[in-house]
Amino acid sequence: MSTSSYTTPPAANPHPRLRPGRYGIAIAVTAVVVITLIASSLLNYVYLDTIPARTSLYGLLAVALIALGTYIGVRAFTRDRASRRKHLIRAGVLLGLGTLLWLLVIDIFVFTQSAGPAVAAICALACLPTTAFGLFVVRRMDRNEKEPWRLVLVAAAWGAIVATSLVIWGETLWDQTAQRTLVPGPGLDASTAFSAGLLEELAKGLAVVLLFLVMRNDFDDIVDGIVYGAAVGLGFNFLESVAYMTNMYGIFSPEGYGWYAAGLQWYGRQVLGLFFGHTTYTAFIGAGLGVARQLPKKRQKALAILSGFLIAIAGHFSWDAWVQFFPIDNTIFGLVEIHLRTLIMTGPFTAALIALLIFGIRYEAMGLVDQFLKEAATGSGAILPEEVPVLASPWRRLKQRLRAFQRGGLRAYFEVARLQSAQLDLAMERWHRERQEIDTPLEAEDALRERVIQLRHWVPAA
Amino acid sequence: MSSAPYNQVQTLYRTLLVFATVAVVILAVGLVEFVYFEPPGQATGAHARIVGVYAYDPTTRTTLGTDKSAFARTEEFAAVVDWSGLPANLSVDARWYDAFGSIVGRVGPSTPAQLGNFSIVPVIVPQGLHHNLPGNYTFVVERFQGGVPVEVLVRRFVLVER
Repeated sequence: MSTSSYTTPPAANPHPRLRPGRYGIAIAVTAVVVITLIASSLLNYVYLDTIPARTSLYGLLAVALIALGTYIGVRAFTRDRASRRKHLIRAGVLLGLGTLLWLLVIDIFVFTQSAGPAVAAICALACLPTTAFGLFVVRRMDRNEKEPWRLVLVAAAWGAIVATSLVIWGETLWDQTAQRTLVPGPGLDASTAFSAGLLEELAKGLAVVLLFLVMRNDFDDIVDGIVYGAAVGLGFNFLESVAYMTNMYGIFSPEGYGWYAAGLQWYGRQVLGLFFGHTTYTAFIGAGLGVARQLPKKRQKALAILSGFLIAIAGHFSWDAWVQFFPIDNTIFGLVEIHLRTLIMTGPFTAALIALLIFGIRYEAMGLVDQFLKEAATGSGAILPEEVPVLASPWRRLKQRLRAFQRGGLRAYFEVARLQSAQLDLAMERWHRERQEIDTPLEAEDALRERVIQLRHWVPAA
Repeated sequence: MSSAPYNQVQTLYRTLLVFATVAVVILAVGLVEFVYFEPPGQATGAHARIVGVYAYDPTTRTTLGTDKSAFARTEEFAAVVDWSGLPANLSVDARWYDAFGSIVGRVGPSTPAQLGNFSIVPVIVPQGLHHNLPGNYTFVVERFQGGVPVEVLVRRFVLVER
């Protein structure tokens, strides 16, 4: 191929408006979520005079604060540097208030009933390091262009607070109706499993859908989708673990097995099931959205998104409905059986997800290398031909950063890291533009190129 | 533009479709399971009567006190069923389910006439525990068909307090 064909490609999707149609869809989805939250909490309060029903009503304020704080926080990064800090502080205050209020509501009206706030706090503290480890690993999976922590944490917060709030109401209504009308046994179990699979995956998936619609620049492909989906799942798993641990403690503590029962829940959900279960299921929703991100036809996009949701719902359903068919012996062999059950029942889903992830990473890497070469061939100076093999390999990028550290300490390390990150951003932007998957103007790509050149000015030669 | 990367998105898309097909099969199996255990059109119109739920003395095997809907976890309790109003040709049983969905007390299945002497259905404390586990308990009288419970003739919810 001639050098001329490597020149900067034209604007791929010169959309006349700065705010594309997907923003409208995002606003509609958000409106539906808010209306559903209000309607279901009011219905719960009127028809189910239970403590969780009152929780749902009081929890609305927390959900509103979280939603508003998240919106302001995410949008703050698109503002100029001067006003960004102000908006971030506002978002932080709202998120903090919402989280505190929610935890307060949960502790006082639910957990205190069974075990008291001290036990709830200990359970939450026990789940924090494992969930943080899970988020760290999930974010590291994207070896080429890691997602910003703010979005990964927003995804986890949605999973922990908003999604759990949504499902409490939906599942309470569904399960109360089923328990009053169905024959107890496998039929009722199947109904409960459909309720959990459908409602929980929809509630979690909405977060990934909103990220897909609003944060398109940070949602590049299947790898990003899997990262965001898994983060939402980890957040949901965190709060569900705390709820189960506290509840089990409350049930078994009079028998003298409280901490043992809570510990078993912690092990099953935060160690054995950390990357299985919720993390895997919601990651499939992200995978569907990630594939849709790069498909050209609307019909294919819709099918990919639907597929992701279907796989997540089916995976979740199969565990909830059929786990009873794998009973655990009350012997020492039971310890082996617990691991085997998780491996057999959710292992195939996790293995399928890992296969998609590996394929996605390889595909992303191929696309980026292609763009490194093309950018190097333009002679713009943003990417030099000799840098391409280094940028193409995460391991060699790390070695380059370590060499910089040896020469100039931490500051040099981070300067090289910033340069590499900017070069990867530029290649990603080029990749999307070439594939006509982007609606930012060409000036955005020029700005990225300019930024790389500026960063290079401050970085000593490798 | 290179065509190879584009085809790889299509490969990912097709792989996702294959997984989704498996997912649809799983959900369909779940639906079949639900219909098998919850077959439509099973309303016979027959109704059993629960006389009440009372505190229970396991040594004398008798009920005590008045009909209640909530018990302390240290209290033992039992439901009293009046089998006389049910058609003689039905196969029925009565069960207690605890909050985890485990069966913690049962009589039957048999005909109402044969179950006439078993009108008291106590909750049995699970092995290894000193008292009942707290939570919502469900008591049901069910009609059997082909060895499978297909209709709830009456049900009652009882709370075991923490």
